[in-house]
Amino acid sequence: MLNRFYLSLLLISGIVLGAFLLFVGYREISPEWKQYQVEYKNNLIKNAKDDATRERAKEVAIEIRQIYLGKLKRVDRCTTCHLGIENPLMVDADQPFSSHSGDYLKNHPLDKFGCTTCHHGQGRALTKKEAHGLGHKTHWDDPIIPTKYIQSSCAQCHDYKTLEQKGVNNIVKGRNLFQEKGCRGCHKLNKVGGDLGKPLDGIGSQPIAYFPMKHVTGEKTIYSWIKQHFDDPRKIVPESQMRAFLTEEEADLITTYILTLRAEEPPREYRRFMHMPEVKTDGESLYKKYCIACHATGKISVYDEILKRTIPAIKNPAFLKAADDNFLRNVIKEGRTGTQMTAWKISAAGLSDAEINKIINYLSIDRPEEKPERFGFADFTGNVERGKKLYEIRCTFCHGKDGKGGEGLLGINLINPVVQSADPEFLAITVRDGRAGTPMAAFGKKNGLGLEDQDIADLITYVKTLSQKKENLSNDYKD
Amino acid sequence: MEQFSFLQKIFRLSLFCFLLVFMTLIPALQGVNKAYGDDEDIDEDRVIELGKKVYETRCMICHGSKGDGKGFAGITRRVEKNGRVLKNYARDFTMGVFRFRTTPNGCLPDDEDLMKIISNGVSRSFMPPHKDILSLEEKKSVIEYIKTFSERWEEEDPCDVIEVKKPDWVGSSLSVKKGERVYKEMKCWECHGEEGKGDGPKSDKIKDDWGKPILPFNFVTGELKRGSSAENIYITFTTGLDGTGMPSYEDSLNEEDRWHLVSYTLKLMGKLKSLH
Repeated sequence: MLNRFYLSLLLISGIVLGAFLLFVGYREISPEWKQYQVEYKNNLIKNAKDDATRERAKEVAIEIRQIYLGKLKRVDRCTTCHLGIENPLMVDADQPFSSHSGDYLKNHPLDKFGCTTCHHGQGRALTKKEAHGLGHKTHWDDPIIPTKYIQSSCAQCHDYKTLEQKGVNNIVKGRNLFQEKGCRGCHKLNKVGGDLGKPLDGIGSQPIAYFPMKHVTGEKTIYSWIKQHFDDPRKIVPESQMRAFLTEEEADLITTYILTLRAEEPPREYRRFMHMPEVKTDGESLYKKYCIACHATGKISVYDEILKRTIPAIKNPAFLKAADDNFLRNVIKEGRTGTQMTAWKISAAGLSDAEINKIINYLSIDRPEEKPERFGFADFTGNVERGKKLYEIRCTFCHGKDGKGGEGLLGINLINPVVQSADPEFLAITVRDGRAGTPMAAFGKKNGLGLEDQDIADLITYVKTLSQKKENLSNDYKD
Repeated sequence: MEQFSFLQKIFRLSLFCFLLVFMTLIPALQGVNKAYGDDEDIDEDRVIELGKKVYETRCMICHGSKGDGKGFAGITRRVEKNGRVLKNYARDFTMGVFRFRTTPNGCLPDDEDLMKIISNGVSRSFMPPHKDILSLEEKKSVIEYIKTFSERWEEEDPCDVIEVKKPDWVGSSLSVKKGERVYKEMKCWECHGEEGKGDGPKSDKIKDDWGKPILPFNFVTGELKRGSSAENIYITFTTGLDGTGMPSYEDSLNEEDRWHLVSYTLKLMGKLKSLH
């Protein structure tokens, strides 16, 4: 009885194992690609017009096809499934048999360029899932690129002028957007740019692990990451300070451009750069490239909820009237410590003196002719104690008790080195006349809030001690 | 009890009556003094004078010397995280219209309401808190001074304050669901948008009583100006925000529905985790 039980158990497990082996064997002899090839071959035979073509169709071998590209270090087996890619009769066929759109293959023959050079994906893979690298959790670093961003591949070998002439517009528009939205105010590219954001060199070929995919919806690819990051930076990276206010279309265009920033370059004989890249170096273009993301038009000052401070209006006539070129140069070169303003000198963010001068010239177009009325700070002796009292009554509600400005406060940070090292005359004039176009009111007696010149001198003397006070304090703690 | 004689009882009763009469008379006598004495006028002048002094050093810069909201600071602007630019106008006191009240729609605010704003400031606008900066006397006198800007304060009597009692179930998932229904039915989304992002179809057409374009609140990017507690949201639905497009729902929604709407609003603001 017991023997029979064990015998039947052995029989059943034997059958299960046998079935499993049969299944594995079947899968090995009829993989995904083979099914496509048989289907394609049958189609060819069915649609043959005469006997000769039918005979030829019958002789089509069922085999893995691969394009070996030694120079590009690629092996593309895509044509194993995409059989009709070069067949003009397959224009209306469904994927994977459809022929290539346009006449791209005429100038980019398959045996020289392969497929993944432009489309990305895993050339060696033999299943759709692995080849495209989509829709599963294999986390391939280089999944197939969505058609809407495909133009980013063109820029690997072609220059933008040629592309524009050929009507490859998305990538050109994307590049223009990149240069006009001030991306490099925060992101370095070729070692030039601010350092609030990450450098963008080679960003298009970074491994997927470089991008935190936790909050990305849909396909977890770098394409989705970049696009969705433009839609709402803080949804993808919660602590992001990025100021990107783009429309859906603009986000797609600029994503196309960002994907061109790849680390590796195609071999020399593939490159077709006919024109030197056009780089605009006039003041306005430089302003757009590096400043506009935060300062916008620069006419009005706004409090920003992302940066948690007021962004100064640097193209505002009232500001330019009081601030001379040297002051501007100092701020741009050294930045503003304690704020998001980068130091733009050549050893930091990488702008040359000539470029900084061009930006200053562009800013000062709006400077009014008339000079501000002289204050004559040197004629007064400031009283720090009186200044402190006045500061506490008049200034704290915008600049904060400690003069740091910051979250929820309208005023700028008064402790930073630029204000502290600024000419007291300039500060006194600002307090007296205010800044039209910003919330900074005129505190002077004439058309203002009624402070005497002596009061202003006291105030400025106190403001100038604000940073020292901090040092004294830290010294006290040390003792 | 029996050891007290009848005389003693009479004495005690009369003493009690006397005290009662005396106590009622004191305020009356004081009132007489107030009505006929000269001291009060001087006192009021002194309060207004102090109020004016405080106003001119601290408030005038934004609210203007005439209380018309046209101070030297001008319009202040704030960019939200999604890029929307909000313009902040300083309150114009000359119309006597106030948003943040605990009194019914169309009423003048309670003194306590104004005191709260002066003490705590208004978040997301640039009205700073004056809790530690001004003394109670200074705050009271500046309130009196602000009242001189509009005739409404003399012509109208203050209304009763609306009582707020938060039910326990506010913020429960059932209540949120009911609130969502109310949000749809009352067409809150027309201004505040389907997801509460302040981007409803009517959002760019709203103007305030001063004729300036005004944007509906975006629940997703921050705190309510008067504070984001459930009670504050409820009082906003009940009183409405006078001078803006936000109406009062005191008559059109019953109390329960208003609290359900509070639950849904808290959910839109992402505040429910902290509540439960």
